[in-house]
Amino acid sequence: MTMEDGTTATALVVDDAATVRLYHSSLLREAGFDVEEAANGLEAVEAALGTVFDLFVVDVNMPKMDGYACVETLRSDTVGTGAPILMVSTEDRPEDADRAYRAGANLYLVKPVSAKRLARVATMLIAKGVPE
Amino acid sequence: MTIPMVAGAGLSDLDFEKFREYFYKRTGIQFTAAKRYFVDRRIDACIQSSGHRNFGGWFAALRLGDRTDLLQDLINQLTVNETYFLREDYQFDSLLSEVLPRVLAGRGRPGRPAGPVKILSLPCSTGEEPYSIALRLLEEWDQIDHVDVEIHGADIDSAVLDRARLAVYGNRSLQRVPKPWLAKYFTRIDEDRYQLDGGIRDAVTLAQVNVCDTPAMRAVQDFDVIFCRNVLIYFDELSSRRAAENLYGALRAGGFLFLGHSESMSRISPIFTPVRLPEGLVYQRPTGAK
Repeated sequence: MTMEDGTTATALVVDDAATVRLYHSSLLREAGFDVEEAANGLEAVEAALGTVFDLFVVDVNMPKMDGYACVETLRSDTVGTGAPILMVSTEDRPEDADRAYRAGANLYLVKPVSAKRLARVATMLIAKGVPE
Repeated sequence: MTIPMVAGAGLSDLDFEKFREYFYKRTGIQFTAAKRYFVDRRIDACIQSSGHRNFGGWFAALRLGDRTDLLQDLINQLTVNETYFLREDYQFDSLLSEVLPRVLAGRGRPGRPAGPVKILSLPCSTGEEPYSIALRLLEEWDQIDHVDVEIHGADIDSAVLDRARLAVYGNRSLQRVPKPWLAKYFTRIDEDRYQLDGGIRDAVTLAQVNVCDTPAMRAVQDFDVIFCRNVLIYFDELSSRRAAENLYGALRAGGFLFLGHSESMSRISPIFTPVRLPEGLVYQRPTGAK
């Protein structure tokens, strides 16, 4: 996944479950992203302070700092990222998605997300358009 | 800090290929080369906890099969377990209002199935799904006093089955359980953990099985309803087709299969008949078929 400036797009996958990180990271790698991982919201914020990411994939339920607080912090002046944020959670109620959007997420998906769907959505969010 | 093992970093392409083939044969889960880095790290963890010094020794012991704990640990490291009580609850609504009445309508007559109504949760992970089914039937199904029901849970992962047997859950897992149910069926064991009462635990039969393991799945039979949610999505085409056939074999003719919200059987295999219910799609093993 190449950005407009010719660099490879870098995604941060944030999830406390190692296996979910494994799954999402490997799908994004297959879609051509460089991927880094964080195990909770706090780690994600730390990572984002040191690296400019092109995409965030953030779980909701995590220890230390949950997904909503993480996304709010990523959007706040503390980090101030304008990159697309995809929240992915097992929580399927409409109010969960509302909360994600209020926090600053661009898209909220309910787990599990198929390989094809994650790749397409990630590409779409990066390109700000519809992929082929 | 322990001395780092050489495994992951030193795993050759050939070793990874051998491992990938082996794991696929045993579990049906396929890792592509792109997952290499992440799989390496999980393998590292397994090698460390096994006591072996490197990949070669660990993998030889794994294949030898003397220590089944090695494979189990590996499976536990590489599979996804994340759920909560009453997850995708609309499917349980569907079970109560549409599916069970259809199951009962097909029973008790000559030439029709007799015996208990059998429901299977596969994979059952830490038990939330089969126990949720038990609770909803007990609380909301008007036929529960007249019909004998068996609920079974099965999973590939022995560690989650142990946790299912213990049935101790935290707030997050229990957040959708109505307060009266919590008071009636659970015992608080500390500040934020509850244990499900023995009566319900004993009502659910738990077993270890891999949905892709056709010989093992032959022992799983005569189910009226199977919940197989959010697992086929992780399989490749061949494994998901094999799983679909095994699920077909595990159902009675006319039995129903529930999949997860983002899964579709039509993409995998044509052997089931999709049935549109008010709460969503279910898949039925055709009644006329053997």
